[in-house]
Amino acid sequence: MSEQYPAHAALPPSLQDLILDTTEHRGQTQLSCKAPNHRSLLENFRHEQGYDFLVDVTAIDYLGKDTLERFEVVYVLRRLGARRDQFRLHVWLGESDPTLSSVVDLWNSARWGERETHDMFGIVFEGNPDLRRLLMPEDFPAFPLLKDYPLTGRGERRQFPRVVPRGDQMVEEEPTDYPTSIGRGMHTPEYIEEVERDSKPRK
Amino acid sequence: MGLESLMGGEGFLTTTVNAIVNWGRKNALWPMPFGTACCAIEMMATFSGRYDISRFGAEVVRFSPRQADLLIVSGRICIKMMPVLQKIYRQMPEPKWVISMGACASCGGVFDTYTMIQGVDQFMPVDVYVPGCPPRPESLLDALFEIQKVVGEERIDSGKHGS
Ligand code: SF4
Repeated sequence: MSEQYPAHAALPPSLQDLILDTTEHRGQTQLSCKAPNHRSLLENFRHEQGYDFLVDVTAIDYLGKDTLERFEVVYVLRRLGARRDQFRLHVWLGESDPTLSSVVDLWNSARWGERETHDMFGIVFEGNPDLRRLLMPEDFPAFPLLKDYPLTGRGERRQFPRVVPRGDQMVEEEPTDYPTSIGRGMHTPEYIEEVERDSKPRK
Repeated sequence: MGLESLMGGEGFLTTTVNAIVNWGRKNALWPMPFGTACCAIEMMATFSGRYDISRFGAEVVRFSPRQADLLIVSGRICIKMMPVLQKIYRQMPEPKWVISMGACASCGGVFDTYTMIQGVDQFMPVDVYVPGCPPRPESLLDALFEIQKVVGEERIDSGKHGS
């Protein structure tokens, strides 16, 4: 049915070859391609097919899974004209060089999605003019949504000076050895071991 | 009736400076609400008509730390917010007291994750903790009574709190 994959079907044959596979699940279409190819596909979708709204840019980390590459960057496209539909383009991206060219020049809304994806996964969008931290503190050293980042962090949540009363004033003390969790199982050897492992600096 | 009956008709009352200052302080606490999550909803309920914290002298809610002497930390504090909270605490004039309201502010609650401070008391002084998720307004009122006890035991000549 030609209507089923409209975005895919309308591509010229040279671009059709870049699509690795097409799936349809509960009315949601998903295309996938490899990393540098996404740019020419997205240009076609934007200029030739009228997808005027980039809903979101995000990513998936498939660490430890048997997939083509470690990352999948997901673009959700929608068009709001007479023909309304929405689909996702999944772009495989290797972990050795997690760099993609930005699509800010095609959709302005890519600024935010790319910035958040950079903040959470460390993926670099070349050409994005404002790739600063978005949700995490500006000096945060890690990318927390990577699957090899521990849930309790690597000690970042303890790196604060402590405000303490000293005589008649409040002074700041440098952080020392604070308990990291007063709740669940703080004193069990397993937990202490986990915390020590997590707080070691890693590259 | 009350205080007047103790004065014996002469208009005099003997007390200590310490007692009268503490009596004034503890019955006129000015809270600074620091609501960052769901606990703040219960805090707002405590401030408003039904539970009415003004019955106990703490109704002058100040949204400027420079005019407050009781900081109510109600809600999750993340690592991006902790420096802000510390700054707000340091901006409050002495003497000052802190209530840590709810499981999250007191120990991180269920959020044992990379962004969550596991208890604000690790990084700043806390006087009274309120258990619960969220605590009921009655619990916060009870915390106010505990703070009043703490205030009542202060010695104004102790050099603490800049007095
Ligand atoms: S203790 Fe419960 S109610 Fe309070 S901020 Fe945490 S999750 Fe919300």
